[in-house]
Amino acid sequence: MKNALMAGALGLLMPVMAAAGEYSLTVDRVMIDTGDFVKEGIGYNGASPGPVLRFKEGESVTINVTNNLDEPTSIHWHGLILPFEQDGVPGISFEGIQPGETFTYEFPIVQSGTYWFHSHSGFQEPNGAYGAIVIEPEGREPFRYDRDYVVQLTDKHPHDANRVMRNLKMMPDYYNRQQQTVGDFFADISKHGFMTALQDRLAWGDMRMMKADVEDVQGFTGLINGKGPEQNWTGLFEPGERIRLRFINSSAMAYFDIRIPGLEMTVVQADGNNVQPVNVDEFRIGVAETYDVIVRPKTAEAYTIFAESMGRSGYARATLAPEEGMEGPVPGLREAPLLTMADMSGMHGMDHGDMTGADASAGMDHSDMNQGEMDPDGMKDDSGMAADASDSMAGMDHSGMDHGAMIMSEGGASDPFYAEGSGLVPVAANGGKFLSYADLRAQKPLYEEREPTREIELRLTGNMERYTWSINGVKYEDAEPLRLQYGERVRFKFVNETMMTHPMHLHGMWSILDVGAGEWNPVKHVISVQPGTTVYMETEVDAPGQWAFHCHLSYHAASGMFRKVVVEGGPDQGNTAGAEVAKDGGDA
Amino acid sequence: MNASKLFVAAAAMSMTATTFAAGSHGGGHGSSIGEPGNAGDVSRTIQVEMHDNYYEPEAIEVARGETVRFVIENKGRLVHEFNIGTPEMHEAHQDEMKMMVEHGVIQGDKLNEDMMNMDMGNGQTMKHDDPNSILLEPGQKKEIIWTFSSKTNMEFACNIPGHYQSGMYGDVNFDSAADTQARAD
Repeated sequence: MKNALMAGALGLLMPVMAAAGEYSLTVDRVMIDTGDFVKEGIGYNGASPGPVLRFKEGESVTINVTNNLDEPTSIHWHGLILPFEQDGVPGISFEGIQPGETFTYEFPIVQSGTYWFHSHSGFQEPNGAYGAIVIEPEGREPFRYDRDYVVQLTDKHPHDANRVMRNLKMMPDYYNRQQQTVGDFFADISKHGFMTALQDRLAWGDMRMMKADVEDVQGFTGLINGKGPEQNWTGLFEPGERIRLRFINSSAMAYFDIRIPGLEMTVVQADGNNVQPVNVDEFRIGVAETYDVIVRPKTAEAYTIFAESMGRSGYARATLAPEEGMEGPVPGLREAPLLTMADMSGMHGMDHGDMTGADASAGMDHSDMNQGEMDPDGMKDDSGMAADASDSMAGMDHSGMDHGAMIMSEGGASDPFYAEGSGLVPVAANGGKFLSYADLRAQKPLYEEREPTREIELRLTGNMERYTWSINGVKYEDAEPLRLQYGERVRFKFVNETMMTHPMHLHGMWSILDVGAGEWNPVKHVISVQPGTTVYMETEVDAPGQWAFHCHLSYHAASGMFRKVVVEGGPDQGNTAGAEVAKDGGDA
Repeated sequence: MNASKLFVAAAAMSMTATTFAAGSHGGGHGSSIGEPGNAGDVSRTIQVEMHDNYYEPEAIEVARGETVRFVIENKGRLVHEFNIGTPEMHEAHQDEMKMMVEHGVIQGDKLNEDMMNMDMGNGQTMKHDDPNSILLEPGQKKEIIWTFSSKTNMEFACNIPGHYQSGMYGDVNFDSAADTQARAD
């Protein structure tokens, strides 16, 4: 972190007479040391993550990006409102940056908050090509803090991302380590008896899916600001200070549940936009989301920032402490959540898009035909579910989360943004408040409230067995662009027909998440859509040009859950005079 | 919302008064936050603006024994509180404010006056009427007259959930120069 900041500062100072707002980034091969393994990857200015870029709202920035790789690259400024030619998506915004070439980005900064940047070429981002952006507002912040830290997470995998993709294509459960093994089966038998264990296996086997399939790429080391759990990134504080933590999830695939035992967190910003403050004990950060929280440690002790992946297959850890070298207790991983029938309820329509004859009963659906064979009675008691017998979470209360929820949670945790009876609903480790999308309210509405001009349904679809992911059953290379008209307000209806969570990211324009709060609905750039749920967002189509719209899980986007969006019309249609276009679009 | 929940809330609100009394009569650490003042004793007026979510100004200077008229105006789009007390008193009050939000008395940008004034049958209401505190909807402007006593660690604060935590508070500084002036007055 310190080094990365230094590199960023040097990058700023090096151009001798640089105009204000001129930045330089090099894209380099780097070594990434997670503490668990050392792996070659890609970084910026010689390190992964790259520097924290600090901009000021109202300035115009010039960023020179020099590609030192032997392959093309690109940088996408995630969440920034800018002219589409500056958005950094090869094949949509521009041609990419060739090896040895320096590309100069120029755009005005029309917003403030916490954002990030990353390569949009191949799998460079999961291989390390990401960094943070902090934009200071023109006026004062609507909150106060004494110091702030970027807390940037990733799920660093020991395998090169291209290899991960090949393995997933070959065998979609290649990285699913929670999957039950023969060893588990014998453990289940000794614990629960042969017939019960067998029944459980047969039920799930019939569905041709793994009940632990919450995360399809496991085996990673969670990093915070480039540091593994043992390397323990540490942020310093004086007792009594308010500290703003700018959480950014730059993972390829992992959602994280974040808590700081002993500290309440006040969430003040989501995806760069201020929200009415919410006090929470824990929150879930989707891939590519950001959340800013304020904490106030009053005593001179070390506090652990603990980020468990949603599927509990890994974690990231860092520390807030009055001095370097102090450590707080590090909690164990909680038991992995298991998908329930509710989470798979959206799968009835799975793969319709792939079907030619559209005979939905033709046996192509995973859950549809086999639900009846799942014996609900057999699943009702704890032993029926058997779960993970090699329970590494000794002492964890089994009754708390998953087993009861398998039936359809009765009095279990609920959240309007999860399917009713979902096994994925997060619960705070201390029994306190867990942030929900339903808690988010814009601090200050960005747009006037108005009726949407039309609705577009986007079904999130896929086939786990072939590891293909799509929208409305059609993958990117086979799909027509989504055409929007400048000036309209589109209501997007996401229907998740898969059993995975998809963080949907629209470039260039804001995603106004419908939480039922009218003009106070929060404004985001990533909308997580949980399995078996329908989620709405609205977009003021105020940015001409062409943009990417995709699931931000790296391997889902690469497998086809991706669309090009074309915004037709608008004041600057046909005029590619970059910066001016963005001003018109951004101020709307 | 059912009656029993309301009753619990009302009971909690009445506890505020108890807490307040203990604080103002030297119960704390031998210090006092002062007491409601008389208009005739007012030596000066301090204007305080509420914004979303901060005050202007964020610090005020007072003198021991001084009686100040606070004119407080909510220039934001959300409901805010102005409450004079010690950090400990604010912390205790935050649970009650949380309850008021959970019970729909405070609804983001408006107050449910009917619910606040509802008679609980025992003379109790959810009224937020402690003398050291006011609750304002957007656009409202009200006054508090307060007489400060001895030098105490005090803040003015908005205890609506999340507001204080994210920085909606201001320091009450007991200034020696102001002390001198207060004596001269």
